[in-house]
Amino acid sequence: MFLEELIRGLSLGSAYALLAVAVVLVFTGTRTLSVAMGEIGAFSFYAANDWRLDGLPLVGWRYGVPTMLLVACLVGAAMGLLIERFIMRPLVARAPLDKLIATLAIALSLALLELNLFSFDPIQAPVPFAQGTFYDVFGAELTSAQLLAPPVLLVTVGSLYAFLTKTKFGLATRATTSDPDVARLLGVKVNRVYLFAWVVGGLLAVIAALLTAPATSLIPFNQTTLLLRSLAGAIIGGLDSLTGAVVGCLIVGVVSTLFQATPLSFAGADGSILLLVLVTLLVRPRGLFGSPRAAF
Amino acid sequence: MPPSSRRPRQPGAPAIDKRSIVRYVGITLFILLLLSLPQFGTGADLIYKNLFLSTAIVALGLDVLIGRTGQLSLCQGALFGVGCFTAVQVGAAGAPWPVAFLAAVAFTALVSTIVGLPSLRIRGLQVAVATLAFQIFLISLSSTKPEIKGIGTEGITRPEYLESDQRYYYFGLVFLGLTVLLVHRIRSTRSGRMFVSVRDVEERSGSFGIASGPAKLLAYAFAGGIAGLGGALYALQIGTPNDVSPFNLQASLILVAITVIGGAMSSMGIIVAAFFFSAFASLSYIPTDKSTLVQVLFALLLVLNILVYPRGVGGSFTDLKDQLNKLVFGPAPRPSPRPETTDAVAAASNAMALRKTPRPLRERLPTSTLLVATDVTVQYGGVRALDHFTAEVRRGEIVGLIGANGAGKSTFFNAVSGLAPVTGSIVFRGQELVGAPPAIRSRLGLARTWQDMGLVRADTVRDNLLLAQAWMARYPAAPGLLGLFSALPDERLVRHRADLALELFGLSHLKDERLGDLPYGTMRTVEIAAAVSSGPDLLLLDEASAGLTPEEAHQLGDRFSALRDELGLTLVVIEHHVPLIAGVCDYCYCLESGALIAEGTPAEVTAQPRVVESFLGKGSIDRSTDHHVVVTDDLVDDAVEGSPVDDGLEVARA
Repeated sequence: MFLEELIRGLSLGSAYALLAVAVVLVFTGTRTLSVAMGEIGAFSFYAANDWRLDGLPLVGWRYGVPTMLLVACLVGAAMGLLIERFIMRPLVARAPLDKLIATLAIALSLALLELNLFSFDPIQAPVPFAQGTFYDVFGAELTSAQLLAPPVLLVTVGSLYAFLTKTKFGLATRATTSDPDVARLLGVKVNRVYLFAWVVGGLLAVIAALLTAPATSLIPFNQTTLLLRSLAGAIIGGLDSLTGAVVGCLIVGVVSTLFQATPLSFAGADGSILLLVLVTLLVRPRGLFGSPRAAF
Repeated sequence: MPPSSRRPRQPGAPAIDKRSIVRYVGITLFILLLLSLPQFGTGADLIYKNLFLSTAIVALGLDVLIGRTGQLSLCQGALFGVGCFTAVQVGAAGAPWPVAFLAAVAFTALVSTIVGLPSLRIRGLQVAVATLAFQIFLISLSSTKPEIKGIGTEGITRPEYLESDQRYYYFGLVFLGLTVLLVHRIRSTRSGRMFVSVRDVEERSGSFGIASGPAKLLAYAFAGGIAGLGGALYALQIGTPNDVSPFNLQASLILVAITVIGGAMSSMGIIVAAFFFSAFASLSYIPTDKSTLVQVLFALLLVLNILVYPRGVGGSFTDLKDQLNKLVFGPAPRPSPRPETTDAVAAASNAMALRKTPRPLRERLPTSTLLVATDVTVQYGGVRALDHFTAEVRRGEIVGLIGANGAGKSTFFNAVSGLAPVTGSIVFRGQELVGAPPAIRSRLGLARTWQDMGLVRADTVRDNLLLAQAWMARYPAAPGLLGLFSALPDERLVRHRADLALELFGLSHLKDERLGDLPYGTMRTVEIAAAVSSGPDLLLLDEASAGLTPEEAHQLGDRFSALRDELGLTLVVIEHHVPLIAGVCDYCYCLESGALIAEGTPAEVTAQPRVVESFLGKGSIDRSTDHHVVVTDDLVDDAVEGSPVDDGLEVARA
């Protein structure tokens, strides 16, 4: 029973972690706490799905589910690029709250656009990973998406980590993270780093959406509600640490599944997550793995 | 100052500025528009127009939190819900609507205070995230426990006289008007000033006698109470809430959007924004299939707004008003941004009046020694910023504190102000300050200025002087709003004192100017005026000459003497200009790397080779001629030209 809950929690936490890594990447790269990541993922996913059924706009090309995954990722990356270039870059020098509100506005626009642009019919719900089948993992019944989440997380975060630590551009990214002005003086093209953070952030957000959105129907802000759990994980782990984001989200996943089932919880999983976040913020504002600067 | 720049005092100047006519006309038109709103569109639209009123009320409350206090809350939608559910529950129990309204306001204020608790420990974005967690939690709670929402009860019912939706609109409009009045009223009370100081100068608000924690909680309670009012109004409109969509995360985000797009601290802008975000898209002239598109448009507008016009709708109203004024009355006269010279006789009587403070006798009794610091040590990690510093300040003295940059002078001021981790003892008028909260100092009679100006630049000169006297207006928040108990006399007192201090420093003509618009030298004068208005016995001046023109710096010595002689103040001044110190100080301490290296009269101190070395570096002293300093060209800046040269310290070009 406990093992079952634990496995389900870890799988859930992995999906949260993908989104959390997107948030952390954008936060460390650009000092922007973005609440738009969830909606970027959802929008790309719904767009790709809509075009799968109705044909790509202008071209009219229809494609299958595997191609849809690729299209969704491309849309997500493109959205990251556009948002960075045209909205966030002009705001780079503004106060953190201004930037947060700008991402709020983006999330709001995207959620409303989803409702307006995409026909959504639960029967036509995109099913990239067959819904009906369950896989038995040590007694826990997992959907294919839930089964896929941990390995996908491992691969994406692993490669991101390798990229940031082993390549020259990764070094430039980390330099920008610690001090954009000094990085610029040293010849780092800081704007490219910002762009990178948003594009990869958008990509990760789409992957998270692909793994989580299919199970639910199209409700605006559904992904943002999901984002909150990722955010909770990121805060518990430390907002500027990739490791922290992953560990924090796994904790959140496990805690939320464990408490969902017990009479201890008086408002489902969210009560326990709220408590976890508050305790972290009050006891160790920088989080488990965060640097002192994570306590903004 | 040339006499031509002085503005002649006009006897019998009109009480109402003609330039405010445009403003009043605008407000009147706006009210008329709100009153006639039910006449447009169909009757079915009234539901949305009523929702708009509730939304506007909640947004106005949120603006006190965001615009005034600088605390972001992302759970105002949920608090709107808390107010609504409370009113429904209380109404279902059979209480009449006023009781339900009061209960909703009180309970929501309580919940909001709890939401604000984390802000005592964390700040900025983290607070935003914590409130986001509350939003999700509260909504999740209401969906797992439907009985909270009052489902299955009759809910709250409208009295007969409010049955029609049109009447209900006017009923709601009254509450919107009350909220606007309340929000405006809070700006001119102590609470409003506390909020602004928490927003702009949080760490320093203690020196005005303001404890930032309670101020934040008060702002949360206030915003929550108003959200509760909005919720109750909505509850009475609908009876029982059948869905939580007005209270969900999206609603919270939209509320923040409304305050941002409306423009911080502009009620009119916020009301307009609330109308467009909450009601416009649903009105009957918008085709149903286009309504989300309209909403998208507004959301995009928000992005655009943040990008190009951070001042929001309210800002454009202000611009419009200024343009109209310019068109009708010509360009506005700008007062000279410099202090005026003051009449000596009036100044003396003002100074006498300012010396009277409402302090208990025990805190006014004359003592010979005001401040005694013993073994004061301040340690930041491995750095000892102040090392066993011992000093004494006697009443009526001007004490100088000199030393190179990083010597620990400002650290000592911070230690006295309660802003540094101190060991040792600092006793002011027999009261131990170490370990006492920073906010008690101004009440005891201690005021200070800051090296880089510690006032609120966004506020007017006068508001800053009122802020500095926060300890004197001790009335609690709620009576303050209603003008009850001691609120009115207290306010009258601080306003009177502010006027006296402004006149004393020749700043009367600038009292309505935004502090940040004034030249730096004038700002520093305002800072001293603010400190003086708080009625201190001891004034700590941190580099009063920094950033001043040589001429202004030169007059500073006279100002120090005047502060002591006219106002009976005791001064501790941090200065880099040694001649200034030498000219006015009675006693002088010299610090180096946190340690005291010399003390005595200025003449004694500046004569010590160690002091000279500390200022000018090793090798700068020509040992053959004792006390004779040879200064190289690049160091000449340290001495003000034409200033009295002390007999012990001669400055000469090499």
